[in-house]
Amino acid sequence: MIAPAGSALWLLRHEVKLFLYGAGFGGRRGTGKRRSNKLNILVWLAAAALLHGFAFAIVAGVERHGAPPQQLIMVATGILAAALPMMLSSGLKASVEVLFTRGDLDLLLSSPLPSRSIFTVRLAGITVGIAGVYLFFLSPLAHVGLVLGQFHWLAIYPGVLSMAAVTAALAMLLTLGLVRLLGVRRTRVVAQVLGALSGALLFLVSQLYSTTLRGLTDRAANWLAPLLAPGAPLGPDSMLWLPGHALLGAPGPLLLLSLASLAAFLLTVHFTHGFFVHGVQQAVSAVRATQAPAGGMRFDFGRSLARTVMVKEWRLIARDPQLISQVLLQLLYLLPMCALLFVKGPDSLPGLASALAFLCASLTASLAWIIISAEDAPDLLLAAPCSQRTIQRAKLAAVALPPLLVVALPLLWIALRHPLAGMLASLVVTAAVASAALIVLWCGRPSARSDFKVRAKGNFFSNLLETLNAAAWAGFGFLLLSSIDSMARAMPLLLGAAGAFAAALLMLLVAWLARTRAG
Amino acid sequence: MNDDAALTMVSLCKSFGRPAVDRLDLSVRRGELYALLGPNGAGKTTTLRMVAGLLAPDAGSIAVLGIDLAADPAGAKRKMAYLPDEPMLYAKLKPTEYLEFVAGLWGIDAAEAEPRARRLLDWLDLGKHAHELTEGFSRGMKQKLALAGALIHEPELLILDEPLTGLDAAAARQVKDLLLAHVDGGGTVILTTHILEVAERLAQRIGIIQHGRLIAQGTLEELRGQTQGGTLEEVFLQLTGQP
Repeated sequence: MIAPAGSALWLLRHEVKLFLYGAGFGGRRGTGKRRSNKLNILVWLAAAALLHGFAFAIVAGVERHGAPPQQLIMVATGILAAALPMMLSSGLKASVEVLFTRGDLDLLLSSPLPSRSIFTVRLAGITVGIAGVYLFFLSPLAHVGLVLGQFHWLAIYPGVLSMAAVTAALAMLLTLGLVRLLGVRRTRVVAQVLGALSGALLFLVSQLYSTTLRGLTDRAANWLAPLLAPGAPLGPDSMLWLPGHALLGAPGPLLLLSLASLAAFLLTVHFTHGFFVHGVQQAVSAVRATQAPAGGMRFDFGRSLARTVMVKEWRLIARDPQLISQVLLQLLYLLPMCALLFVKGPDSLPGLASALAFLCASLTASLAWIIISAEDAPDLLLAAPCSQRTIQRAKLAAVALPPLLVVALPLLWIALRHPLAGMLASLVVTAAVASAALIVLWCGRPSARSDFKVRAKGNFFSNLLETLNAAAWAGFGFLLLSSIDSMARAMPLLLGAAGAFAAALLMLLVAWLARTRAG
Repeated sequence: MNDDAALTMVSLCKSFGRPAVDRLDLSVRRGELYALLGPNGAGKTTTLRMVAGLLAPDAGSIAVLGIDLAADPAGAKRKMAYLPDEPMLYAKLKPTEYLEFVAGLWGIDAAEAEPRARRLLDWLDLGKHAHELTEGFSRGMKQKLALAGALIHEPELLILDEPLTGLDAAAARQVKDLLLAHVDGGGTVILTTHILEVAERLAQRIGIIQHGRLIAQGTLEELRGQTQGGTLEEVFLQLTGQP
């Protein structure tokens, strides 16, 4: 079907095309992409074939048991409930992207297309974007069901799309609400943090469960059992399981879910379309009124070159909360592990040192990318009559100091409990930080700060070395500290530590050999 | 070496697969405002970037106020400033902080830098915006701030690539006045521009570059003498063989 140019359907096709480009199916950024594009498609096709194989086993297995049992419905509802925060996370990120980052709203709103259609299509695009990933994993069940004559599996399509529509509407409402409350700049940061937190929620809960709540499982099961019994509030007929019923093809629940999501979608369009057209544009154009400080201009000349460079780098980062949130959110997944190791006490010192080394190396690599690779005015530095080596050293110091400050207290804590372990952990962490910074210095490519989230795509090689470097130092720290109090196993542990140390040095050597910048 | 020359280029070559600058010989006198004109892709920006020390020439030499750029790059850079068409700014810095940074790069003493910074910001009407981040600045304000940064170390040679692009009339007037004041004070300016009227009014000498080579040079009158005369636009089009 060819949609006429300028129609809502045509615009939706454009939105989906942009989504596919974002997923790696497009020809973006210069030469050589056609090949990698084909490679992407091949990888996706192979994964899809594999998933269809799994789906066949599942569908055939389920169908042998006749109608879906209550347990399966509960599992399906549980999957949807677990997916909901992640869908919301994707929705928030997509809302910020289509409202502020993509930068095509002026073009669209100045075209003769009705603004309501633009907003509807934008929201539909977010819905398709959210649903895409889940449909990729779940649709093989529908396809296999279709082949085997089990048509109720086809309900996966409307079921997932309905859930995606609800979360897209919720994400858009949340984003627009934040714009109204906080303005565009803060909304971008808050939406990003909320998105990451809701995406990480499942992981954090699972970590919390596996570390502290496992003992409560039996008590919780006993407590819930009467509530799940037939006729009880959470029994098989409860509305709670409606999404599960819908996903598994029960016509009534499916219709109800579809109508509810359609209503949520249309009501969101109806009530927020006006603000989308005028409010967002006004918020984007608004100039923040700032008050001049009393006493006129203030200067602080006279710093050394190194201090001048370091202050400039830290100022640029400190004033970019979006960037800070992106950096810190990368480390979110490590925090439960560190917290757990702290709680466990002296037995966990090797694990803690290892986690700190990994955390610091990751943080350093991110900061190094921002400070070294994403320098905003490289020509200004090159045109200056000062030593480029001094600038480079100052930048490395600006990169290394924040991670070392972040872990200073945990390292002190280790040192107080076990001085030798504290000293070794400090050395390992310092080496991990220095190596990560040097790898980016040698292998980094000039980039724009706005590309931070996709930096791995831009330089896969450097990113791989950074990850392997962090893992090698973490392994070295773990094995080295484990050998301190274990005389019986000291030799194999030290041999393992030597291997990890050699691997870390190898990463540095590879980075140095492949360096793209003059030293 | 000509002692009177602020900038001398001898047989300068640079190639990016195809020659961008091809055996270019050019000399700009001290205290002169020199306009380097040429069609798109003629090699103007490449030439200026080599002079600023951002690109290494494939062959040839550059001397800035008698200092060989290849032999003493720091010495040469200390005496000049380069302002590209896209201002080299930091979005998250305030003008005061930007000038502190640039002064730090050029190693300017605080006692000298502070009054200069105040004077420049006031002169360019940026004083009342000194506490704002540059990310909210208009194109003209950004260009003026970059110019203030270029002048903070009082360079003898000022190199500007399309300095008036995107500026409104008032900002363009301010920049032009500043350039003329720099030349009146004994400084030298070399600039590229596509606005031929600017070159016609400001420049004492004009060089026309095409395919990386200087095809004509002189005062406007001298250039007219080499062609059938007319405005600079007509002279330029005749010399570059464009319709």
